[in-house]
Amino acid sequence: MSEFIQLLLSGLSSGSIYALAAVGFTLLWQASQTINFAQGEFVMIPAFFVLALSVKLGFPVWLAMPLAIILSVLILGALFKRLIVEPMHKHGTIPLVIATIALGILLKEMVKEFYSPLGQPFPSLFPQDVFSIGGAAISIPDIANFTIAMGTIVALQLFLSRTRTGRSMQATAQNPDVAEILGVDIKRMVMYTFLINGALAAIASILITPVYLAKFSNGEVLGLVAFIAAIVGGFNQIRGALVGGLLLGVVDNFSAAYFSSEYRQALPMILLIVIILVRPQGLLGTSEGRTV
Amino acid sequence: MTDTVLSVRGISKSFGGIQAVRDVSFDVQKGEVLGLIGPNGSGKSTLFNCVLGQLRPDSGQVTINDHKVANMRASHLNKLGVGRTFQQLSVFPQMSVLDNIILAGQEHKGSMASRLFGPSDAGLTRAADQMIAFFRLEHLRDEMAGSLSYGQQKLVDAAMAFMAGPSLVLLDEPAGGVNLTMLGSLKDRLETYNREHGTTFVVIEHNMEFVMSLCTRIIVLAEGEIIAEGAPEEIRANQQVIDAYLGG
Repeated sequence: MSEFIQLLLSGLSSGSIYALAAVGFTLLWQASQTINFAQGEFVMIPAFFVLALSVKLGFPVWLAMPLAIILSVLILGALFKRLIVEPMHKHGTIPLVIATIALGILLKEMVKEFYSPLGQPFPSLFPQDVFSIGGAAISIPDIANFTIAMGTIVALQLFLSRTRTGRSMQATAQNPDVAEILGVDIKRMVMYTFLINGALAAIASILITPVYLAKFSNGEVLGLVAFIAAIVGGFNQIRGALVGGLLLGVVDNFSAAYFSSEYRQALPMILLIVIILVRPQGLLGTSEGRTV
Repeated sequence: MTDTVLSVRGISKSFGGIQAVRDVSFDVQKGEVLGLIGPNGSGKSTLFNCVLGQLRPDSGQVTINDHKVANMRASHLNKLGVGRTFQQLSVFPQMSVLDNIILAGQEHKGSMASRLFGPSDAGLTRAADQMIAFFRLEHLRDEMAGSLSYGQQKLVDAAMAFMAGPSLVLLDEPAGGVNLTMLGSLKDRLETYNREHGTTFVVIEHNMEFVMSLCTRIIVLAEGEIIAEGAPEEIRANQQVIDAYLGG
């Protein structure tokens, strides 16, 4: 039982970080029909911003981290929208998807080429202590990561549901034409969504990189997991992405412990296929009618 | 400032070789309820979209409250005092009725800081509740708009169009798909609003009974041109209009 609790908490911890990336994925889709296949690299890159600022430029880590979040908001949010999404969007969804795949490869190769192909140690925000509850070993980083990731998602949900800007952003996601006619500045609302995605990716990066080390290839798994989590939970619901992320984190941990670590990476794909066959709108998603 | 709320001057619009609207001119005065009718393909929707700045006419000019609307973004048009309802359902399905109606009024209020950090209702809950009561939607106030019946959503749509206190409201087939009971309610509310606030309406509608009983003046389009204009009873008796509708 203690092992079960241990695995569950550890799975929820990594799942909550997957959820951050998946929520960003979902937000971009809702606001601008952008499927960002560079999302994994968006989670990989901010760790290198932290390292570049702290190791190369000598900033203290406590300052490098918020600066990295700001850089991510500007580069992975605003610049991504202006330089990639806006020019490609007019050509349709598929060219934009291909552009984001290319961007992901570019970011990965740039880090490999200009920083290092080797995994870099990354400072953790929390002590690596472990304490015991009922025989289950609980690590402080697990609890802290879960608390910060969930706190971020709850804060985002409150922002969207309890502020005027959040209401305008929701309206833009649900019906942009009508939102604009009602006076909503939809271009600005879509930009806010990209900025938020940049921040979510940076927070996920800072939380997860101490576990994996900072490596150019980190985005491969993270991007796939974020995509699957968003689909499994429901592509058009933030809470769906949250549930999808948590579920994948827990399934990943349990499958490695109780099933087979060799099939660990296959299980999310199996889960994805089952969900698409049985409930294509995702666990919490709603069906969307499309006119073709 | 004159009493003319909407002025359409010499609007023409063609698509490829098809002339959708040909040299159409008319004015709409403050408080007037103008109906724009015509058989399918007569150019009503094209004209409507030119008036709303969503289509750029080949020639001519549209002025609303003394402002030219050419190339104006929809959000700016809204701030100019123009409200509209839609042929298709246009509520935000995953928001409550109250949130839908607050949203329709909030963009006119406050600074960017107050949008981010000010009260989430922009001080509009009371006004939204009054609008909800006016359209007799109190029992649906906290329901998700997407869960309402078609007719109820049309009423929410109308309430949203009035929330920003517009001087001109363009109603695009408000009666379309609405059952008779709901239609009576919608007409009653529109008439009352017009009477109490002096708001100007331009209505595109296929339902003749509805448009004839609601409008004070009617313009009939056929093949992109105005073929008749006048009070509802004059239009009913106009042979050219009868021929256009019957294909004579």
